[in-house]
Amino acid sequence: MSYTALSFTLLFVLGTMLVSVWQKLGLEKDIIVGTIRSAIQLLAVGYVLQFIFKTDQMIYVILIIIFMISVAAWNAAKRGKGLRGLVWRIGLAIATMELLMMGILLGLHIIEATPQYIIPISGMTIGSAMVVSGLFINHIKHEIQQSKGEIETLLSLGATVPQAIHEVRKRSVKFSMIPTIDGMKTVGLVQLPGMMTGMIIAGADPVIAVRYQILIVFSFTASAAITSILLSVLSYRLFFTPDQRLKQSVER
Amino acid sequence: MSSIFEIQRLAKLNWKSSEQASKYLFSDISAEISESDRIALIGASGQGKSTLLRIMALLDAPDEGDMLVKGTSFKNMDSKLWRMKIGFVAQQAVMLPGSVEDNLRTVSKLHDRPYDHKLVQRLLEQIGLEQLDLSKKAADCSGGEKQRISLIRSLLLRPNVLLLDEITASLDIDSTQRVEDLLEQWHKEEGTSMIWVTHDLKQASRISTTTWFMGNGKLEQHLSESFFAESAENLAKRFIRPLEGASFL
Repeated sequence: MSYTALSFTLLFVLGTMLVSVWQKLGLEKDIIVGTIRSAIQLLAVGYVLQFIFKTDQMIYVILIIIFMISVAAWNAAKRGKGLRGLVWRIGLAIATMELLMMGILLGLHIIEATPQYIIPISGMTIGSAMVVSGLFINHIKHEIQQSKGEIETLLSLGATVPQAIHEVRKRSVKFSMIPTIDGMKTVGLVQLPGMMTGMIIAGADPVIAVRYQILIVFSFTASAAITSILLSVLSYRLFFTPDQRLKQSVER
Repeated sequence: MSSIFEIQRLAKLNWKSSEQASKYLFSDISAEISESDRIALIGASGQGKSTLLRIMALLDAPDEGDMLVKGTSFKNMDSKLWRMKIGFVAQQAVMLPGSVEDNLRTVSKLHDRPYDHKLVQRLLEQIGLEQLDLSKKAADCSGGEKQRISLIRSLLLRPNVLLLDEITASLDIDSTQRVEDLLEQWHKEEGTSMIWVTHDLKQASRISTTTWFMGNGKLEQHLSESFFAESAENLAKRFIRPLEGASFL
């Protein structure tokens, strides 16, 4: 696809802008920022990947994965304003997930240990872990507000903080995994996922493409579970004071 | 009688926002609770009775002062151990997820203690819940049932001091009487000290030997017998007095 052909896709953006103006949605500014950002980011990534694939140095792969995790952690932590030390907790949860995931995928020779495999698959699982982390933080904040009475009742009955928050933690982990599990159930029936679509467009045999997609779907589920559970363990104390009282206000 | 629980110069600020405190909700509150004391905590609404109770239960923090259980400050004691000694029954009874029985078993589950089935049965009968289906979802119980279940749930913790926040406010006369009788018997058998917040002055005089009166940010301590011997008019004045001098502009 030539750049001229690509530039025609701006018509989609223009159409959206017109709808926004016409319906007074006030989205014009966000659309412009989003368009410019996504174009620049993706083009930059294209050149970065080209460079990494050419040099074929593991250190660059590791650096780019660290970069991905940092951005993901920083972005997901926005959901928990007022919670100090959330960024590194999310970062640690995602990093651990990435290590486990790559350990299995590479250790069992499921994928080849080349940048072409490691980077895209890491990107996808880290991206999904970011969404899961954001959902988890959002939901546990909400749950704690809703279940303040429940938590304090348990504390009054002599429960430890982990005991008092256990049910809330469980509900939040479950909630954060719903989109991943729903996606797993309908994948292929509703939407053809990005990786598979990309491979098919690039000329790969659909059956081969599907194999990789299955790999991705399974990794997503595992990564969602690992990230969410780890994050729940790492973060619940943020909602309590050092002397085991539930903090009275968590900023929304 | 030895002191089991002590509060020293306790103060709580009224927080306007998370940074700016306006003035004291109450300050300089000191008191001693001896073993098997029964205290009625009364005062007009908004004087900080519930807040004081929540602070004692370590659900809220004081801004100044100290609290001691058997000579140990709350600052030097694990909050869990503290809360096992100082039980708290909230004004709004909260049922935990699960059945009535799950709720009643909470304490034995949390602390790996045997579940005293006979005792629970006796308490349920005394409090008028012997007909209640224990497998019923706790959330489906009526307000009055929930209040009584939450009381039994806290009794099973066997705390040294029991903090009761208007626990009969949602109960009818018969159930209120049963709760009072049950707590009286519990007090006799277990020697539990009790601090009972109530707006019902008759109830306060029935259930207490000492009366704490909160007003103007201070705590007065009286012997219940003499306090409630005052004329109804005088008693009423005490509840109106906090408003004097308050600015309405």
